[in-house]
Amino acid sequence: MKIIILGAGQVGGSVAESLVSEQNDITVVDIDPPRLRALQDRLDLRTVTGSAAHPSVLAEAGADDADLLIAVTQSDETNLAACKIAARMFNIPRRVARVRATDFLNDERLLGAEGFEVDLSICPEQVLTEYIVKLIEFPEALQVLDFADGVVSLVAVRAYRGGPMVGHPVKEIRSHNPSIDTRIVAIFRRNHPIVPDGETLIEVDDEVFCLAASRDIRKVMRELRRMDRPVRRIMIAGGGNIGQRLARALERDYSVRVIEHNKRRCEMLAARVHEALVLNGDATDEELLVQEGIGDMDLFVAVTNNDENNIMSCLLAKRLGARRVVALINRRSYVDLLQSGEIDIAISPAQATIGKLLAHVRRGDVVAVHSLRRGAAEALEAVVHGDRESSKLVGKRVEDIDLPAGTTIGAVVRGDEVLMAHHDTVIEAEDHVIVFVADKKTLPRVEKLFQVGVRFL
Amino acid sequence: MSLVAQLLPSANVLLDLSVSSKKRLFEQIGLLFENNHGLARNVVFDSLFARERLGSTGLGQEVAIPHGRIKGLKEALGAFVRLEQPVPFDAPDGQPVRLVFVLLVPEQATEKHLQILSELAQMFSDRALREQMTAAPDAESLHKLISTWQPDVPGQRRAVA
Repeated sequence: MKIIILGAGQVGGSVAESLVSEQNDITVVDIDPPRLRALQDRLDLRTVTGSAAHPSVLAEAGADDADLLIAVTQSDETNLAACKIAARMFNIPRRVARVRATDFLNDERLLGAEGFEVDLSICPEQVLTEYIVKLIEFPEALQVLDFADGVVSLVAVRAYRGGPMVGHPVKEIRSHNPSIDTRIVAIFRRNHPIVPDGETLIEVDDEVFCLAASRDIRKVMRELRRMDRPVRRIMIAGGGNIGQRLARALERDYSVRVIEHNKRRCEMLAARVHEALVLNGDATDEELLVQEGIGDMDLFVAVTNNDENNIMSCLLAKRLGARRVVALINRRSYVDLLQSGEIDIAISPAQATIGKLLAHVRRGDVVAVHSLRRGAAEALEAVVHGDRESSKLVGKRVEDIDLPAGTTIGAVVRGDEVLMAHHDTVIEAEDHVIVFVADKKTLPRVEKLFQVGVRFL
Repeated sequence: MSLVAQLLPSANVLLDLSVSSKKRLFEQIGLLFENNHGLARNVVFDSLFARERLGSTGLGQEVAIPHGRIKGLKEALGAFVRLEQPVPFDAPDGQPVRLVFVLLVPEQATEKHLQILSELAQMFSDRALREQMTAAPDAESLHKLISTWQPDVPGQRRAVA
């Protein structure tokens, strides 16, 4: 596929990185040559320097032949204009834009066919806010991801010493509680994937991924590990875009404090939140943290725009007694260093938001993608089309499907029904199938499975 | 007369079209159906692209049969394009595509339309015919090749291509 990415920042860079390895033809456009050079040194792609919304720049980037435009520059306006120009002048069939300002999202006509012609708008701040809110709702989880419009969830939990599942085979988790149906789709042990069968023993520190109907998630987690105390008190470091969204999303149900160093920003924030307490100060200031009762916090979330500050304030908060700390970390190498150490959860914004884009790039009718394990693994939801002749899946039992190693069919959503996939589950047309892919390299084969044959009409 | 022959007017055969991508090809095809049959080019374009997303219509051996449903269309329509340079098509054999038969069908596709696709697959499985198509000197002779081609009657043995 020929893809043009506008903007070589955090999002653009990681999108390029995750797509370039898959035999796509990528061109990245940015106004800043050093940024492009840095990207080109690392990845096999083409770059064009210039203003992303200019027709001449788009033409130079190959807009005439492009299948997909991903507009993720810093500027909403540039992204919107680029989509319109891509649609009108270059007829690029699919267009995705990052749109931060909610103002643009309030009226559907604005992005629709009569407006800027954006097929999909992504607001990374909103995606991240939802991601963190989920972690607060499920404090036992490392990750909680939705499929099939929220009907099915994938949760990652760490197996702790003394937890109910450690030392037991996978199959016992089902027999423990027959009223709930769940499926362990993957286990990561010392950073390597294991494809579990019923006999696999769960070890201490395993990262266990399981799928279940969303309404059963709490029950499933209770089987997997002791429940934590529910979260009541939350401290947020950073009152920027994400901090503000988080405070507003959480303030009704939790006691929320926000620390923001910029005085003017504090005043603005205070006017926009209702219950949350806004504090002016530095989140790495030990005295301030203690004074504001850091030792009583169930959760400390650092979401400033500075990686180092987020890391340091989290380490400090943990030392001072905060129960769980979550840091937003842009730099990939930092995420790898810190996850599962002192910092309970390190979130990479790019990783958390890239899924929505990937769903547009995957071949076949893929409706949702979540990138996992720093991009090494992926969970995706795809719709099965065709009949026994034109589909490789329709009419087949799960056990008879030729899946690449490390790939597991976890669940099937059929109409309103959620079915956990068992060896004898038969796939039907229009099923939404949720697949866990432990090794990204096998994705092309998984995509092939979901593609219909030539004779599908 | 084969089903394929019935839906291919001679004006819908384009020879040695020069395009740089699948996208450009579908634009040209949209234009052809707009000029020859009054269909909106973007409707044709979108329909072909949407179908392609569910799985490539590349057959292998440099052949593709892109198709799509068109709202309001009464009868199936075809077009044949031979490209000057092959374009990438995500075909099963990984080869770019040079011979393209486009099929548009009404929104309510029927058994007959599936039969047309089967005929096309059968026609293009004939290596000798493919070579003749590649070598044909003009649109007229290409149109003749397709319109005189006869499908096998089911159950009848055919010579190995």
